[in-house]
Amino acid sequence: MSFIELKNIDVAYDGKKKILNNLCLDIEKGKFISLLGPSGCGKTTTLRVVAGFIEPNNGSFLLDGKDYTNVPIHKRNFGIVFQSYALFPHLTVAENVAFGLKMRKLAKDEIDRKVSEILKTVDLGELGGRYPRELSGGQRQRVALARALVVEPELLLLDEPLSNLDAKLRLKMRVEIRELQQKLGITTIFVTHDQEECFSISDKVAVMNGGIIEQYDTPEKIYMRPSTEFVARFVGFENFFPLEKREDGYYCGGVKFAIEHLPESCGDQPKGTIRPDDIVILDRPDADHNVIEGTVTVRTYLGKSYQYKVATPYGDLIANGPNTKTYAAGDRICLHLPAQKLVVV
Amino acid sequence: MKRKNYFLLAITVLVYFFIFAPLILIALTSFTTESYISFPPVGFSLKWYQNVFQNKTFMEAFQLSFLISTASTVIALLVGIPGAYALSRYNFKGKKFIKDLFFSPNMVPQVVCGFALFTFIIVRLRLNVRVALLVGLSISVVTYAFRIVGASIESLDYSIEEAGMSLGASRVTVFFKIVLPNISSGIVSAFLLAFINAFNNVPLTIFLSGPGVTTLPVAMMSYIEYNYDPTVSALSVLLMLMSFAVMLITEKLVKAGK
Amino acid sequence: MAYWLLLLPGLLLILLFLVLPILRIVLPTFVGESGLTLQYYKDFLTDSFYLKIFLRTIRVALVTALICVVLALPVAFYISRMGSSRKGIMIALATFPLLTNTVVRAFAWITILGREGILNNLLQKIGLASEPLKLLYTEGAIVVGSVYLFLPIMLTSLVGVMENISDETLEAAQSLGANRLVSFVKVVVPLSMPGVIVGSVLVFAGTASAYSTPLMLGGNKNMMMSTLIYQQAMLLDNWTRAAVIATVMIVTSYVVVGVLNTLAAKLGEKSA
Repeated sequence: MSFIELKNIDVAYDGKKKILNNLCLDIEKGKFISLLGPSGCGKTTTLRVVAGFIEPNNGSFLLDGKDYTNVPIHKRNFGIVFQSYALFPHLTVAENVAFGLKMRKLAKDEIDRKVSEILKTVDLGELGGRYPRELSGGQRQRVALARALVVEPELLLLDEPLSNLDAKLRLKMRVEIRELQQKLGITTIFVTHDQEECFSISDKVAVMNGGIIEQYDTPEKIYMRPSTEFVARFVGFENFFPLEKREDGYYCGGVKFAIEHLPESCGDQPKGTIRPDDIVILDRPDADHNVIEGTVTVRTYLGKSYQYKVATPYGDLIANGPNTKTYAAGDRICLHLPAQKLVVV
Repeated sequence: MKRKNYFLLAITVLVYFFIFAPLILIALTSFTTESYISFPPVGFSLKWYQNVFQNKTFMEAFQLSFLISTASTVIALLVGIPGAYALSRYNFKGKKFIKDLFFSPNMVPQVVCGFALFTFIIVRLRLNVRVALLVGLSISVVTYAFRIVGASIESLDYSIEEAGMSLGASRVTVFFKIVLPNISSGIVSAFLLAFINAFNNVPLTIFLSGPGVTTLPVAMMSYIEYNYDPTVSALSVLLMLMSFAVMLITEKLVKAGK
Repeated sequence: MAYWLLLLPGLLLILLFLVLPILRIVLPTFVGESGLTLQYYKDFLTDSFYLKIFLRTIRVALVTALICVVLALPVAFYISRMGSSRKGIMIALATFPLLTNTVVRAFAWITILGREGILNNLLQKIGLASEPLKLLYTEGAIVVGSVYLFLPIMLTSLVGVMENISDETLEAAQSLGANRLVSFVKVVVPLSMPGVIVGSVLVFAGTASAYSTPLMLGGNKNMMMSTLIYQQAMLLDNWTRAAVIATVMIVTSYVVVGVLNTLAAKLGEKSA
């Protein structure tokens, strides 16, 4: 039994299209997991269901075995960092951070102590008396974090907390958030649309699309071995060509293709896919397996490499070749798809 | 744009002159030493202002107007603030209907409201005319509460309310400790505008007057019917000063809010 | 569920003390001796005395709205081109009169338009008139007073709309060959129509239902619906007639607003 369990969550507004469709997710205690996907995929909705802002039409949400589905928001004890930070404009930084503690009716000196401690932890020690409007974006973000963490929540929920910061600050803050999370050992759900951000700091990533989770795995597995076409495209795979599944393996054009990591399952129309960078371009079919012949139609100079659009019997494939050797449009070349890099979705 | 500028400028100056000249005229006539309204004023005297303060009818009427306007404004806010919050934060069936209903006092002529309330509260329910005044004025200014406070609420980021809830505050606590402090300038603006409009109301209050129960504008109208002297000018100036004070405070609040 | 509690006070106040009292006076006007009837309305509208008053009200309201539009269009345009601080001052100045009492504003015009008023004195002094003109207690005086009352509202409504007409739009028109007057008439005015309509609704409704202004400036010889209703209800105790007048006023108000709003919506579609 996991620490957090989402079972069969359905969310639909007015019985129309489902925003979340039979969503299931298990999260282990102390882990940092991200919900990643394009806008509209349902990642923020999922977070808001966990937070209690949205009541699911169906399904349940369990925390440590207890059913939280109908627990009111203010009784949940979760720390939430909003995309807009949602700092209280009429309270100082210290009062903002102290708010949750006041709600829990702690003694005044304990509140003061905890507030100054957490402000020091997030590097805002001197700014307790300021108002949110006097702070920079990065500072406000840290106040939001401090406010969420000071109440020692069971769960930390972050809704695209870095998207309003400039690139440099974003890099700095994501590391800080991860370090803080690991130090406190707090279970965390992080919503983002930024792939690099999420891969760099998460224990596991749930890639979402149209209200369902396409793949829930470590960042490495998602990047190297996407399990669906959507996930593959999302992490940069191109070159989707049809494969035929036979008893002893996968065939392309009647020839068996060697694949190192076979998928656990796939639909009735499996496709092979590989990154443009991973294709090895050969003048002649030197390799003894996984070779496709084709003609170059377009050549684009990318700086670090040349990109070729190659017409093959299985459709156009895109391959990147080194900038030392070039082929021109019209050349016949061979594309070798190494077994370790070829993925079936 | 040079030529057009002069033409437009001239019209603007004329229009603004049209708007302010009459008021300035009265202000000037209030200082005359003559016993009738004369322009230009002859001499300088404050005796007409003295007259205003010594006029028992005016003083009593002012007191009534002031008290009842304050009371109706408070009622309008007590009704309007929760209503505006509900309209702004919730979506429900019949929302448009209720919204139209809440803004309907604007559509019904005040004289009609005055007559209707007269027949209902004074004649049918036999309640004191002050009750009718209170209720009538509250309704007539409640739209200010809805509109102005509503605008404040709309511009408030809803996530701070969610943040408050996530930190352990119930919806009620969130409303009082988070929403109210942040719409306070909107509330004060609404208060002042509602107050001044309740104070200045004539079409409604004319139906709801009685012996000893007259609002200041109505008292002024009766006075003008029989006396055409600068006392009215002085009273007008005093009332204008009151409006001006209201405007200043509201402007200050709007600036502070930003 | 909570929202009902929040809406309840407002609902109660308006239903009990606005809707109910009005229904109580309006509904009986449709019930005669033998059931539903429109007799009272027929009587009212066929009586030349009352018809005259009804038409006068509509006439005064329309003329007032028209004058306000004509006066406010150029001024609002001028203001809308100003920098924001000056614009703010101009708007504040224009709206100050709205906070002053209607009695004070009507009184100002009495002092100006009266037989011994400022205007007559001036005209006689400079020889344009040999005896005092009857300016007060005329329909024209009501129009002047009403324009005075509602011009600021039309101004603010128009400035609001004209602010959204960018300088570039006008420059484009001029670059295409329109001189300033033409671009004003053919570009600014059509684009300002939503504001013109909103302002006109407010001015029309306000003028048609104003009380102190027609009373003080028009007197008993130039009654409007609002002064009529007071006379019938409070001076003549003719409550049925007063109720008929009240209903006519409500219906007129809703009809005019409804028509103008649909017009505004149609224009909105066109420009969208």
